[in-house]
Amino acid sequence: MKTTLSGISGLVIFFSCITGNLTAQNRQLYAYQDLSKFSFAKQKDSIKKNWVCPELYKDKATQKKYREIWDGRTDFITSAIEANNYVNDGDIYNYINQIITELTKANPTLLKQKQLLLIDRSASVNAYAIGGNVIAVNLGLITFAQSREEIALVVAHELSHNILNHPENSMKERAVWLTSDEYKNSLNAVLDSKYERFSKLTKVIEGFTFSRSKHSRYHESEADSLAIVMLKNSNIAFDPEVFLRLDSTDNEYKQPLKNETKNYLSSYSIPLEDWWFAKRSKGLSSRNYNFKDTTTLNDSLKTHPDCVERYRKTQSMATAKGRLTPVNAAIKEKANKMLIWNIYDNMDLTACLYRVFLEKDKGNTDPWYDFMEHNIFAGLYYSNKQLNRFNAIGIRPKEYISKNYYELQNMLEQIPAENLEQLYKSATNQNFWAGMSPETKGLKMLMTAINFESDDSEKKKYNAAKEFIDNNPTSMYCEFADHFKK
Amino acid sequence: MKKLIVCTALCIIAISSKAQSKVFKEVSEDISSEMKIITQDEALVGYLVFTQLEKASEDSFNYKITLMDENLNDIGTVNFREEKLDLEAVSFEQDVLCLAYLKSNINGKEFKNKKDYTSFEAKNFIFTQFLTLNGKIIKTNATKIHLTGAGYEPWAYTRGKFTYYSGLKHHIQLKNISQKGFTCYYGDADGCDLVTYDLAGKELWRKNIDNEKAYSLLTSKGDIYMLQKVGGQYAEGGYNLLSFNAEDGKAYDKVVLNDKQGNALKILSFANDPVTGTPYLSGSIIDKNKGNNTGNGKQLAKGPYSGVFVMDIKGHSKNDIKQTFTYWNDGSQKPAISKSGYMSETKSYAVMSSSFRDYYGNTYFTGSEFIKKPKVGAIVASIICFPLITVTPIILATTGTTKCKVTDVALMKLNTKGVLSFESEIPCTDSKFIRGNFPLDGFFGERSFYGVDNADTKANYMIVDDSKDVMIYSVNQKKVVRTVSHKDGKIRTYIFPAKEGHIMVVENNKKEKYTRLSIEALN
Repeated sequence: MKTTLSGISGLVIFFSCITGNLTAQNRQLYAYQDLSKFSFAKQKDSIKKNWVCPELYKDKATQKKYREIWDGRTDFITSAIEANNYVNDGDIYNYINQIITELTKANPTLLKQKQLLLIDRSASVNAYAIGGNVIAVNLGLITFAQSREEIALVVAHELSHNILNHPENSMKERAVWLTSDEYKNSLNAVLDSKYERFSKLTKVIEGFTFSRSKHSRYHESEADSLAIVMLKNSNIAFDPEVFLRLDSTDNEYKQPLKNETKNYLSSYSIPLEDWWFAKRSKGLSSRNYNFKDTTTLNDSLKTHPDCVERYRKTQSMATAKGRLTPVNAAIKEKANKMLIWNIYDNMDLTACLYRVFLEKDKGNTDPWYDFMEHNIFAGLYYSNKQLNRFNAIGIRPKEYISKNYYELQNMLEQIPAENLEQLYKSATNQNFWAGMSPETKGLKMLMTAINFESDDSEKKKYNAAKEFIDNNPTSMYCEFADHFKK
Repeated sequence: MKKLIVCTALCIIAISSKAQSKVFKEVSEDISSEMKIITQDEALVGYLVFTQLEKASEDSFNYKITLMDENLNDIGTVNFREEKLDLEAVSFEQDVLCLAYLKSNINGKEFKNKKDYTSFEAKNFIFTQFLTLNGKIIKTNATKIHLTGAGYEPWAYTRGKFTYYSGLKHHIQLKNISQKGFTCYYGDADGCDLVTYDLAGKELWRKNIDNEKAYSLLTSKGDIYMLQKVGGQYAEGGYNLLSFNAEDGKAYDKVVLNDKQGNALKILSFANDPVTGTPYLSGSIIDKNKGNNTGNGKQLAKGPYSGVFVMDIKGHSKNDIKQTFTYWNDGSQKPAISKSGYMSETKSYAVMSSSFRDYYGNTYFTGSEFIKKPKVGAIVASIICFPLITVTPIILATTGTTKCKVTDVALMKLNTKGVLSFESEIPCTDSKFIRGNFPLDGFFGERSFYGVDNADTKANYMIVDDSKDVMIYSVNQKKVVRTVSHKDGKIRTYIFPAKEGHIMVVENNKKEKYTRLSIEALN
């Protein structure tokens, strides 16, 4: 009896898993209305209403400048909310919010006020605090992090900035400096000079930036220290090695694929020419140039201490190893999908496709990634028609990408229009569509209408987009349809 | 947690007070930039922005060179100080860039009065600068020159100041010499010079060239070629070919360019064959009787050109040049082309203005078509008025009896066997009808042609930039593959040459206030 019951339970569990998996595949990542324009509309209005610039300075010019900077911050965050830079998806939001809750409970004297958490849809490995108890965490950070504790460290670091009033202090410093006699005299000295005015103006700005950067680096060290204290209070482990990993955050496209680039397109049954993948340019991009990196800041201008330095300073405060919790796999995958969709909607197609291939390298057979491949080819086909393929591909210099990425980029650039059409059409006929949800099939129809409608008028595109939105009002893909409805 | 970059600080600071705005405005007024394309073997390989940042002293400026690859990605910058420079040309060979400037302490300079200007000691130079892809300036050279006033006092008096304006008689032309270095040609008030440099920027040799009307420079493998235009009987003819050994400057025999009957040639293309890399010339054969009658439609319809030609330059003497002359004025091309050049296929005449070679040895000629029609009204009026001695001549002299208009673009092909055929007609915007005795130059000038080719796919495209649209014609597919409208609502679109096999599309949206730039493949 026990065996039969456990056998039945096992079967039930087994079938639940399969159904659950299928449901997960078809369940959308978030609703269109979870985007910040809708889900944080109240918070946006509250910020606009309640973020009133305090009267701090007797000097009118300084107060005026301070208000400008203050209002600039308000505009930044409200515009970002309006532009759907953030999403309140539920799962990821709650996962991060749980960390904040733990930190708050364990540090009640430090975190006295509730923080407004925003999940930024950006792929960059970053988080930021802007003061006013607002903190944003990027999807890129969640996909990069190897442990929950890493995310907790970053969150604690940003919360520390808010606790220590770093954003507010920075705004005050800027207002004071920009209205100071010293600054005005420096500008006048530039105007009074007959020669080298640009160099002198640059020095004035660098001087200000040096001073600001020095303060920023100090702020960052302060935030690191306070963050570690908060983690200790919360019994969350601290591993300083995360600082060393931060140096590799710009290298996501340097990661090679496991197979030949061509192999990832073998399911599309179209002959792939070798020359599409090869660089045939006579141009300077294929040369070995080695200019001094002009994007690298002088040490004096960096706002953050070097990662190695941060590691060394905090090494002694490491908690014992082995206490790290892997990031919830479902959360990580969801974050990755949301990030891929956002990259796609911003028409950075090579990056999007490469991330899809990286997922497939992990053995992920979720048909959602095949669906995204279809969308990418549809987007590329459309961009080609609009004479905008170059911008849609987003060509990156070879020193920042892997050999596979370089080949993929070349292929997307060089595939002839008629072969691109074949590739796209092949993607519309793949077997995976059978198990896809109605909204994904609806998106496929929308893309077909936009790409192949004989009448290329804006009105036709508008009508096709409207039809998709009317039939799928909560679909996250309404964001895409919106581009054509506008 | 990420790093900030300086420009963010600059942007923050640019939240401006009035004083701040004034500073930024005044400083930015001293800054000027121009963009040049970087070429190697006649192909675009990158872009360079030359910026004058500020006046560094009484007679020097601080400059910045920004290098970009053919995809407009930044490669790096170089800063340096020099006297007043005007960048004229940039070339690239073996990881070395050669920049050629006009360096002048007087050109564009303002003087309070004529006395100051006439007593000023002018110093003008041709300045060459050699830059590696590590951002190092490895060599500079300065050759003294005299700017020419071109027949007038080189100053302008405006707003109470005298400003000196002058220039070179022949602008600087700069080409790379494969594996070896660079060659540069220019002409000042004293004469014309051809100079070569090695890859370290060292001057190898210099030659004084006859001061003729114009030159066009070309390099091919180890040799330097110059197409020389001299005065002569025919306004569109009078060309000679000069050639030099790049190593030692040895001058080969001058080749006078005419057909076997001594007829002058109008050169439309002087370039390297895309497959062999050897030079070739192509163009129209000028009719010895009507060759100067190209002023208006009536004259053009009488056949000032008697055929087309191709010359493949396989060596340095006339015997080494494989010449192909194909005539229609002898009736040999009938019924396709009449003796006067009338094409039966298009029912029009064509004035060839461009030529190019494909990857299969065929040479193409392209130009605008025009049609000539009788002005029936004027003819009838002149007949009716015939008894009146003065009226009819007045009608005939003023309104004329023919009218012409420019229509589509014709493409003709001369194959490797010298057989000429009509290849295609590319639909374009017609001009209005004008009197037959009026020049058509203005309408021809509204159109430009250039080629885009792809060495890997051996595909050739011809871009016809017309007043209303840009047509992209595939020579291989023999059809227009794309038409881009210059104006679409509030959006204006322009097409320019870009890296091999590509065009640059610049889209300016006045309503949304943005300019979008894209480099698109033609395949």
